[in-house]
Amino acid sequence: MKNISPVVELIDVSKRFGKITAVGNVNFSLSKGAVLTILGPSGCGKTTLLRMIAGFESPTTGKIRINGKPVQAVPPYRRSIGMVFQNLALFPHMTAGENIAYPLKMRRFPPQDIPELVERYLGIVRLTGMEDRRIHQLSGGQQQRVAIARALSFNPDLLLLDEPLSALDKKLREEMQLEFRRIQQKIGVTTINVTHDQREALVMSDEIIVMADGVIQQSADPVSLYRQPSNKFVASFIGLTSLMKGTVDQIEGTTVKFNVNTTSLWGQTSSKFHIGESVEGAIRAEQVRVHTEQTRPVGMDNVLDGVVEEQIFEGDRMVYQIRCPALDSAPIFVFDHDPAHNVLHRRGDRVVLSWNIRDLLVYPD
Amino acid sequence: MSGSRSKATVLWAIVWFDLILLSLPTIIIFGASFTTGDIVQFPPEGFSLKWYSKLWLLDDFKAAFFRTFYVSLICTAVSIPAGTLAAIALSRYRIRFYTGLQVYLLLPFTIPLVVSGLGMMIFFGEIRILGQLWPVGIGLCIINLPFMIWAVSASVNGLDDQLENAAANCGAPPLQAFLTVTLPGVMPGVITGALLMFILAFNEFLVSLFLTDARIVTLPVSIYNSIRSVITPDLAAVSAVYIIIAFIAVLLLDKLVGLELFLKSK
Repeated sequence: MKNISPVVELIDVSKRFGKITAVGNVNFSLSKGAVLTILGPSGCGKTTLLRMIAGFESPTTGKIRINGKPVQAVPPYRRSIGMVFQNLALFPHMTAGENIAYPLKMRRFPPQDIPELVERYLGIVRLTGMEDRRIHQLSGGQQQRVAIARALSFNPDLLLLDEPLSALDKKLREEMQLEFRRIQQKIGVTTINVTHDQREALVMSDEIIVMADGVIQQSADPVSLYRQPSNKFVASFIGLTSLMKGTVDQIEGTTVKFNVNTTSLWGQTSSKFHIGESVEGAIRAEQVRVHTEQTRPVGMDNVLDGVVEEQIFEGDRMVYQIRCPALDSAPIFVFDHDPAHNVLHRRGDRVVLSWNIRDLLVYPD
Repeated sequence: MSGSRSKATVLWAIVWFDLILLSLPTIIIFGASFTTGDIVQFPPEGFSLKWYSKLWLLDDFKAAFFRTFYVSLICTAVSIPAGTLAAIALSRYRIRFYTGLQVYLLLPFTIPLVVSGLGMMIFFGEIRILGQLWPVGIGLCIINLPFMIWAVSASVNGLDDQLENAAANCGAPPLQAFLTVTLPGVMPGVITGALLMFILAFNEFLVSLFLTDARIVTLPVSIYNSIRSVITPDLAAVSAVYIIIAFIAVLLLDKLVGLELFLKSK
């Protein structure tokens, strides 16, 4: 509690490569023990941001502070930062144990303490007894664990994860996400994770920053980010979201009525609009309910007729892609959970869709 | 079935034809060195090791052999740092004049050896080092350096390009990172390249012919000089010893290439 300054602080950080702006005016700070995920599509600047914090790149403008001290002049090898690289970058000519001992040797830990620390971190990542294995003798998941142990063994102030899980298959990836979470909570190290995987971001983080085109789109905790996306990009990047374009017809506080062709829809907004402005409505697949003509809903705010265009069975749910004649452009996606007990809608079936006003989010187009 | 069998037959026929063609001179020289007669002939007349027993008496050849060994050592010793650093720089760092530098370093491949030899002879003469033995090693290093660069480049390209960053992240300053991570990582390429350089220098004839004089001839030049007078079976024996040395080098290479697989993480 003595140190109240954030572990990492970025102030107006920008990075330009020639004419290309990879990162533009990024600001954030991270307090001790928190896990932050920078989420965005590839090429959004998230890795560049991470490399600047690690010290492999320097910002074109702006400041980075670690533990309150500016780090412009501090080379990467003097920063107390552990990093797990995208391809892990384990040292192939060393054993698992030697990899974990390497940062301890380089950072001049007392030699007599090193074996004990290596042993301890092997235990934390559940690789006890594997220290003499060569890297190529380990499985993908075990290599991940060695990389985590190497990044943590010297007790860094900050842990950086550069999409280390992206190369793993789905099952192992989900297992390692929980494993990361477990290790992080056990050690309490401040962590910045970079990923394009929204599930990973939601599962692992205390806070998420969504980036696109080098700019922060939104910064929030996972639940608020999912429930209250602040713009169209965030709304469509996280979750399965259907978009519909229209023009504003009526405004009542935070409730907006907008017209798509001749159809009126009611939605919720945090922006200020004027009548006639073009807007885009966004609705998540799990907020849409699907009915048949016989069970046409009453008392729902938005009701639309449609035809099933595609049905995809995902085991725990059915995903429908539904074309509504009233919204001639994009299809509407719907999740139908527990399909075994519900009515199955087949391709070509006529259906009725409905959702609540508060679930249709309206953004400037 | 029969189609793939006839394909195999044709391929094997080609392989064996090539193998025989390639090894024929070696077999003939080997065979001829065991002759009991006084002229080089194949098949040999009888079998004896008498020409081998006389090898130690051939002081000229012996001296030439040790000179060749010395020259090859210099060539290898110079090529290891030069080739390794050049290869790492070329494939790892964004350097200025990249293409120009690459072309410059691979230039010895495209220039005829006669031209290189003549050029070096004139240049070494100008700076008054012609007639000494060590410049021959330097000359051979220059003409064969592309092999070293290629061998090391193959190793460098097999390494994760984030390894040095990972080392820095672990707290290693640049020199330390290079010595403890990059260099061990490319070691298989360095070993392969060094052995290659040694054997190439050991066998080199044309450029050595330009750079040596009667006092400092290397073995290939010395053999060449002798066949211009009398061809006796002791030459065949010298050549056979030569082949054996080359063979040992290849065996060594094979052992270390095995080592390379061992060192590589896959």
